[in-house]
Amino acid sequence: MKWMENSFFDHLDKFANSLGYENFEIAIPLAMVPWQSPEDRDTFIMAITGAEVKGGDQDTFTYAEVK
Amino acid sequence: MASGGNRPTAPQNNPVNVSATGGNGQSGKFVAEKAAKAMQLRATGYPQGQNQAIAEQITEGGNVRTTAPAVNPTPSAANPALGNFMSEITPLDAEPTEYLPVSDGIDFGRGRGSEAISPRLTSPINQTEGVDMIKRYLPDLMNATRLQGTPDSYKRFVNFLKAQIL
Repeated sequence: MKWMENSFFDHLDKFANSLGYENFEIAIPLAMVPWQSPEDRDTFIMAITGAEVKGGDQDTFTYAEVK
Repeated sequence: MASGGNRPTAPQNNPVNVSATGGNGQSGKFVAEKAAKAMQLRATGYPQGQNQAIAEQITEGGNVRTTAPAVNPTPSAANPALGNFMSEITPLDAEPTEYLPVSDGIDFGRGRGSEAISPRLTSPINQTEGVDMIKRYLPDLMNATRLQGTPDSYKRFVNFLKAQIL
């Protein structure tokens, strides 16, 4: 299986990195929202943070190990 | 000689002539109160000029007693309970004991800095809810790290969550 854009894990990656890891209690419920598109999600993130969306994209994908 | 009977104009029937100290078996205080009341009731029956004087006397108080309760009684030794009650009232214009500037709690302007504000509100209940959330979702979140093309940012986040429950 491959990492899929516009999935729960993709949403969680964007919300956790944009809002901060310590705000995971907010990031996880927001990642469960059925966003219609990544653009809608990113627009929401930029609206509440006032900054660019943070998180991995296809250009930054690597195969880091999870301990 | 026949008796004249009880004549209304007789001196003994004029309440003004009754001795205030009593006499003939009557209470002086009782008679004095009756006389004062009779004078009040006759306030409109006097010749012109006297009615106004009597009305002014009533308005100013004078010796006219009132039975109305006091609206704003003052504490007195005769009513210590009322005095204690009145002493508990705080005036609205009472000056506060401490003045704080509007910039109190902020790191600029007058007053105390941010150290005056308590740190972020954290409670054991919220911390427990966070740990429970991590324990609930962490297995699935870790499985997602094994997907092909998983970004490092996501893996760092999962490592952060693991560190929270260890």
